[in-house]
Amino acid sequence: MGSHRLSRRGLLASFGVIAAAPLLDACGSPKENNPGTTSQTDLSKVLPAFVPATAVKPDIASVTGAAGGVTDPTFLSYPANPPKTVTGPVGSGGTYVTMTPLWGAIPPSSGNAYYDAVNKELGATVKIQPADGNTYGDLLAPLFASDKLPDWIDIPSWNIGKLSFGEAVRTKFADLTPYLSGDNIKQYPNLAAIPTNAWVSGVWNGKLYGLPIYSSGAVIAGAYFYRKDLFDTAGVSADIKSVADLEAVGKALTNAAAGQWAFDDLFGDDGAYINQLYGFPSGSYPWTERDGKLVHRYETDGIVEALNWHAKMVKAGYLHPDAVANNSQNAKQRFWSGKVAVCADGTGAWNGDDTKSGAAANPSYNRQAFKMFSATGGQPAVEIGNGAGLYSYLNKKLSDKQIRELLSIANYLAAPYGSAEWLTVNFGVSGKHYTMTDGNPLLTELGSKEIATSYQFLASPLSPTTVKSGNAQVTKDYAAWQADMVKYLRKPMFYGMNVSEPAQFGSLVQPMKDTITDVKLGRKPISAWTEAVAGWRRQGGDDLRKFYEDIRTKFGTGQ
Amino acid sequence: MDAAGPAPRPERRWRIRLRRDRSLLVMTVPAVVLLAVFAYAPMLGLVTAFQSYDIYSGFWYSPLVGLRNFERLFQDPIFWHALENTLVISAVQLVLYFPVPIALALLFNEVASARVRAFVQAVVYLPHFFSWVLVVTVFQEMLGGAGALNTLLRRHGYETWDIMTNPEAFKFLVTAQAVWKEAGWGIIVFLAALAAIDQSLYEAAAADGAGRWRRLWHVTLPGMRGVIVLMLVLRLGNALTVGFEQMLVQRQAVGRDASEVLDTFAYYYGVVNNNFSYGAAAGLFKGVLSLLLVLAANKLAHAFGEDGLYRR
Repeated sequence: MGSHRLSRRGLLASFGVIAAAPLLDACGSPKENNPGTTSQTDLSKVLPAFVPATAVKPDIASVTGAAGGVTDPTFLSYPANPPKTVTGPVGSGGTYVTMTPLWGAIPPSSGNAYYDAVNKELGATVKIQPADGNTYGDLLAPLFASDKLPDWIDIPSWNIGKLSFGEAVRTKFADLTPYLSGDNIKQYPNLAAIPTNAWVSGVWNGKLYGLPIYSSGAVIAGAYFYRKDLFDTAGVSADIKSVADLEAVGKALTNAAAGQWAFDDLFGDDGAYINQLYGFPSGSYPWTERDGKLVHRYETDGIVEALNWHAKMVKAGYLHPDAVANNSQNAKQRFWSGKVAVCADGTGAWNGDDTKSGAAANPSYNRQAFKMFSATGGQPAVEIGNGAGLYSYLNKKLSDKQIRELLSIANYLAAPYGSAEWLTVNFGVSGKHYTMTDGNPLLTELGSKEIATSYQFLASPLSPTTVKSGNAQVTKDYAAWQADMVKYLRKPMFYGMNVSEPAQFGSLVQPMKDTITDVKLGRKPISAWTEAVAGWRRQGGDDLRKFYEDIRTKFGTGQ
Repeated sequence: MDAAGPAPRPERRWRIRLRRDRSLLVMTVPAVVLLAVFAYAPMLGLVTAFQSYDIYSGFWYSPLVGLRNFERLFQDPIFWHALENTLVISAVQLVLYFPVPIALALLFNEVASARVRAFVQAVVYLPHFFSWVLVVTVFQEMLGGAGALNTLLRRHGYETWDIMTNPEAFKFLVTAQAVWKEAGWGIIVFLAALAAIDQSLYEAAAADGAGRWRRLWHVTLPGMRGVIVLMLVLRLGNALTVGFEQMLVQRQAVGRDASEVLDTFAYYYGVVNNNFSYGAAAGLFKGVLSLLLVLAANKLAHAFGEDGLYRR
């Protein structure tokens, strides 16, 4: 705001600031250019206490790993007698407008028996208004700009870059610190059962604003998956300890003339997957330290080695031609149909639904993941991601009473897996929207029509691993793999600190992404990368480093 | 125009014309309103090119920065590269694409059977209604690395032909796709021009002993010249628009260096990076350049004695 020139417009803007000043918090003077972040000491003051849920016992209990990582509770069937976790009235008859993203068909909003049933349980009218998840970010910007935000809104972390969120959160959303910090949260026991790690990114400028959605204590970028059936048929070992082992797999399982390739893209967009092998930071937390100086992921030796190795695999012909064309849309089909034996994907790709899809293409389909390994064969180090990828926020215009009502509703929505409330929120009315089949709820035709992920994007419990499409073995395999994986977790620099970078640095990323794609696929030599990094430093990378060095001095590094 | 009697004073003449053309003018109102609402009003947004625009401040409160966005733009090597790509692809399309619909129209004109003509015409029109995503997918399935052609080559032990991922060949690939998709549609206007040629001219030429080729050269082409020049002028005005979706969809396959054009530049460096002012500056630059091109092409048309876009 301080950069306005004294013109008619500038003057108008200053009036706006003066009018808004009484609303601003004491610590936030309008001149302050707030980066959004919080130091560790301040963070510990606002974070809610953690009281694990005890109402339901998982079939496979959570395992604690390194860096505060903990595996998801695993359930092989839904408890036969789901306990109630919320007693007494939930809401007090208020009416609230919400907005949530949805990736899929939007269910009918009027005459929707599911919405009515949940709202009846909630004792309030929570108006569900899903919007297309793919264009959600584009919808948010005008809503923020015109100040027409609903009472309760879900905001995915990947959409906040365009919103100058560090500033916006203070003027648009309710500060939940007085309600949820420390022991205050205990009046909302289901919210208190969300692990501390998940709340961290809901804290902005030293205050708690966001409710974590689909939280997990073991979020990582992804894993390297392989087709166990194809490996077994070819007699190839899946005990991969280094990229040299992986390369041998490439040679053994590529048969281009028969239309089979060993690998899909193993690099990931912007190095999203391969950084786990080569130990350089992810795109979300790009900084690391060398001799006390901040070094960006683009400047590491790791990314250079990764680029070289991947380009070598492309040259050797081990990658599917569509992967070489950087087409990732059909990657799943390539893996399902067995045209590709190894791929990199998010951990969410591994579940019973996937088994069903894969078996449709290939009856012997068996997806497994390599245990975590490092490129050189040493101890792997896997970066732990934010405890939640989406947060919901309450409008600042709400009164104290309304905020309490909505938090009470959030407490209901966050009832853990296995509870009676969870069934209502996720599956509606028994016999109408779902039936219990083999110990797990299954949507009826009406259920599939009326129910879509909606309330869950306003508040949800710690995400469990559950049985999907009736495939219990996959659930067990995943739980075992995750228990091994969490041993290697590490916290990146500035973890969960919600640093809002000034907008001018936004343009630094695209040219680098483009160059990564060119080099990883062998279209350009590695020298093109070195040049791009030099350009990156000149065009703002060094300034960005200074910005983060400042953050480090003032707020620490989130360790 | 030529009213009888002494010429009326200018303002009266204007009023007479207004009264005479009243019904015609009323008919243009919807089009004028549409243009005003959807073409002219949004142009006010161009002011962002001279601002440091951010969504919270909006048009009214975003600070003006003069020509700073343009200074940055002209110092940006990626921008110049995008402009170069745009011009190269446009030139290739002008040479390889523009004559195709004319040739096709002439061919159709020679087909005697009306049924065969109608059928073939329908077939070549059809791709116009496909989206670019679909067209690129069809090309990918046929010519891509795992497409029909390369699978066949691989199965028989031949080297593969990687046209879809070859940055060098990209300008020819996009032109081939444009021909496949749009050439059939492009012939409509030329067929109309052909239909307008006076048949008696052909009879007279034939009577004078002119063969098929001479009739084509001396009757058909001169008859189409006006339309050809008009289309050329329009084409030049659009020279900096070489297809956004087509480039966007294939960017991953050939990389930025081959596929970045002005429109994708404005998208990636303006919209994607939340740097709307920068994107608007690139867009405005493109618009001004296009206007200059169209005016120059029109002047050239006039110099050759053609109407171009409007009569002098």
